[in-house]
Amino acid sequence: MPVVKLFGNLRDYAETSKVDVSGGTVREVLDGLCTQSPALCEVILEGGELNSHLQVMLNGRGVDFIQGLDSTVTANDQIAIFPPIAGG
Amino acid sequence: MEGWAGKILDIDLTSGQIDSYPLDMEMARLYLGGRGLGARLLWDLVGPEVEPLSPENVLIFATGPVTGSGFQTSNRFSVSTKSPLTGTILDANSGGWWGMQFKRAGYDVMIVRGKAEKPTMIEIINGEVSIQDAAHIWGKTVFETTDMLGQSNNKRNVMCIGPAGENLSLIAAIMNDGTRALARGGPGAVMGSKNLKAVVVEGKERNTAQDKDLYKFMLYETGKLIKQSPLTSKALPEFGTAAVLNVVNEIGALPTRNFQQSQFEGAELISGEYMTKNILVKKQACWACPIACTRITKTSKAEGEGPEYESLWAMGAQCGIDDIEAIAEANYLCNDMGLDTISVGSTIGCAMELAERGLIDTDLRFGRADLLYETVRSIAYREDLGAEMADGSYRMAEKYGVPELSMSSKKLEMPAYDARGMQGQGLLFATSNRGACHMRGNMLGPEVLALPRQIDRFGTQGKAGIVSIHQNSAAVVDSLVVCKFTNMAVAEEYFARWLKSLTGIPFVADDLMWVGERVYNLERLYNLREGFTMADDTLPPRLLNEPVVDGPSKGYTVNLAPMLEEYYQFRNWDESGVPHPAKLKELQLDTLLAEA
Repeated sequence: MPVVKLFGNLRDYAETSKVDVSGGTVREVLDGLCTQSPALCEVILEGGELNSHLQVMLNGRGVDFIQGLDSTVTANDQIAIFPPIAGG
Repeated sequence: MEGWAGKILDIDLTSGQIDSYPLDMEMARLYLGGRGLGARLLWDLVGPEVEPLSPENVLIFATGPVTGSGFQTSNRFSVSTKSPLTGTILDANSGGWWGMQFKRAGYDVMIVRGKAEKPTMIEIINGEVSIQDAAHIWGKTVFETTDMLGQSNNKRNVMCIGPAGENLSLIAAIMNDGTRALARGGPGAVMGSKNLKAVVVEGKERNTAQDKDLYKFMLYETGKLIKQSPLTSKALPEFGTAAVLNVVNEIGALPTRNFQQSQFEGAELISGEYMTKNILVKKQACWACPIACTRITKTSKAEGEGPEYESLWAMGAQCGIDDIEAIAEANYLCNDMGLDTISVGSTIGCAMELAERGLIDTDLRFGRADLLYETVRSIAYREDLGAEMADGSYRMAEKYGVPELSMSSKKLEMPAYDARGMQGQGLLFATSNRGACHMRGNMLGPEVLALPRQIDRFGTQGKAGIVSIHQNSAAVVDSLVVCKFTNMAVAEEYFARWLKSLTGIPFVADDLMWVGERVYNLERLYNLREGFTMADDTLPPRLLNEPVVDGPSKGYTVNLAPMLEEYYQFRNWDESGVPHPAKLKELQLDTLLAEA
């Protein structure tokens, strides 16, 4: 089953750093995540769309460079969600 | 004072002569202060014939017109010199309180020349300057020295070197206010070579605004934007600079085990999230800073400041170490010894690879967290293998016949980004005037964090323009001198209005970008005069020729050549990387042309 990894203060909303969520696309996985964690859902979705401040990666690649939220997800894939961060 | 104090302090440690004279205001308008003014003065004072650790090299400590004004993060200052590590022009800047206090003491710039006969310190109290004996503090650590000289934030501030600088380690830092660092490129060794242990400042003057209404308005507006930005109001205060460690690892750009891999299996255990949960005591801010990215942490053995992202990486993933307490304790020690944590960690990682290849006889291996603290100490005191590491990874690796295993550019150790996973970052490192440096215009923003918008980190076309603009912008911030994190909430137009409110001069954003480009090209001219060529605009063979072995960046090397060609064109330099005369004339650098 795909794994969703959460970073930064998103972990506080979900009360975990990793969640197993099924789904065939990134969008389906995010919907499943919302079902599992309504508190997190309020932060990651805005009007049914991904919060523009967040970064979503599929196996380390920004989904914008694949097929966005319609990117295909397989059983061993990892989706990472980052809040706005800075540093360096 | 309104912006600039208008005075330069000039101290000759050989003769004991102390002079002060007016700051050339035309020069000030063209270069502002900090890095810019330091570069311009260094051009005149230190030529190619000067050895970096000789008395003829100088240290130029410079504030900017914004320093001490009370604008957000207006606490910073810089040092400029010829680097003993790289041989290039060097500037490094630091936060805390010292820069603000030096401005209050009544000066914009302090030039230190020559060499004292014996250990010496300088005291500047409300404009009065004295050179004093420092026998009682020579040999003391940074923390001891800072305490003995009466450090009191906001009132009396100490800048000093530790044992590393006294022992002329080429990766020695100059420390201020105990734990802030002018770190990269070995300025601590230059200070040690002058037998100068410390500079203490106290002052009462204030950097007030000529246009007080505009000042108050800009102070309010800037504060509002800093509070509104999730970066400066949430991410940095909550997790510090280490907030980015997990994302850099996630994309496969966290250099691991001397850049042999690009993802670290122990990343979570040295991340910002882990640090916040397990060893963070509180956050802390520099003077006039609402962001508070500084971490105060505590382990089972000690308490101290840091570690920052770069330090967590350098003594963590770079060394294959996932023990955050061991890293934090080594970080505290680097501060106390006066060492650059990036160069220390990178050099230790290099030594670990040499050891694993059988080139060095030592127990030091990747993952040996138990040896980290003692290794740092041995570097500061030049003991055993530490004596070989004290001058950085390049000289050490070269001694063993494998200079290519030093992960450096122009002999400055690369920071915490594997450019095979961030092509623009590779161009940035290769072209940085002080050697591999992420602070010269970090491509982390556009290539990883979507700041201001996401670009393809594996792409090479078009990166030249973005890198150039970032480099120019970083030069502006380093010349004002403010913290680059402010730049995450406000843009150059705000800085221009800050300047206008303070000085009355009607700066606009374009004026500042001209300053940035001017400073960048002047630094380039300086290095050309020193004998650097386009051959030095390069990266280690590992990054150019060895594809990443696994992870999201698998199969990539840095495709530098086409980016470099585009970069020279964008900058209006010739195919050898020499600025065209027309560009120099445009930047009012043409009078320096004949000397380059």
